[in-house]
Amino acid sequence: MELDKSFAIAFSGMDAQSERLKVIAENLANVDSTAQTPGGDPYKRKIISFQDTFDRTLGVDKVKVAGIRTIDEGLGRRYEPGHPAADASGYVTTSNVNSITELMDMREAERSYEANLNVIDAAKSMLSRIIDLLHG
Amino acid sequence: MAINPASAASAYANANRMAQSAAPGAGEDFGQLLHKAAAGFVGTLDKSEQASLQAVTGKADLTAVTEAVTNAEMALQTVVAVRDRVISAYQDILKMPI
Repeated sequence: MELDKSFAIAFSGMDAQSERLKVIAENLANVDSTAQTPGGDPYKRKIISFQDTFDRTLGVDKVKVAGIRTIDEGLGRRYEPGHPAADASGYVTTSNVNSITELMDMREAERSYEANLNVIDAAKSMLSRIIDLLHG
Repeated sequence: MAINPASAASAYANANRMAQSAAPGAGEDFGQLLHKAAAGFVGTLDKSEQASLQAVTGKADLTAVTEAVTNAEMALQTVVAVRDRVISAYQDILKMPI
């Protein structure tokens, strides 16, 4: 049934957005994480990417997480002598997470999740209507 | 669920033979069709039960459970609607003045 397929597709979208929110949560939680030794790497921002995937049993295109990779560029520096990761001149390398960017991304994930939920709602109401018709 | 889908399907098959109605599709009578539908429905219910069980033990995602339960719910509604229609057809025949 076509409406069943819509369910499966929308649920795959919701799965993908859940994964995205997980990555955003990691970034936001680790915004202040630094290395514990001089010259070590602080937490590096992770980004998620998606990809379409063909479901052979249903014959539809679903979405899946293509991968999560870390971004090396854009690390900051902060003057903080006495920090365990401070170098000879007293600077600490800070993570490249920008809270505002992450918050925007979070909103986007939320909206996307909501859109998929609405698809499920619509498919469910359409199915219920046709079943009502069968009831006579 | 106390009703055995196989016995229900055979009852429908008997009714079909009595009614001498045309079979839908090639080489398939209405009873077989119902039997298949019932088997599919039981499979859907099984899936939803398994998913719920896995969720309770923390092995399944809530999305997967919702998907399985939604599928089961829709399957149940369809089966109930078909059953109601079949029963109402039976009753129409029973009430027929001879």
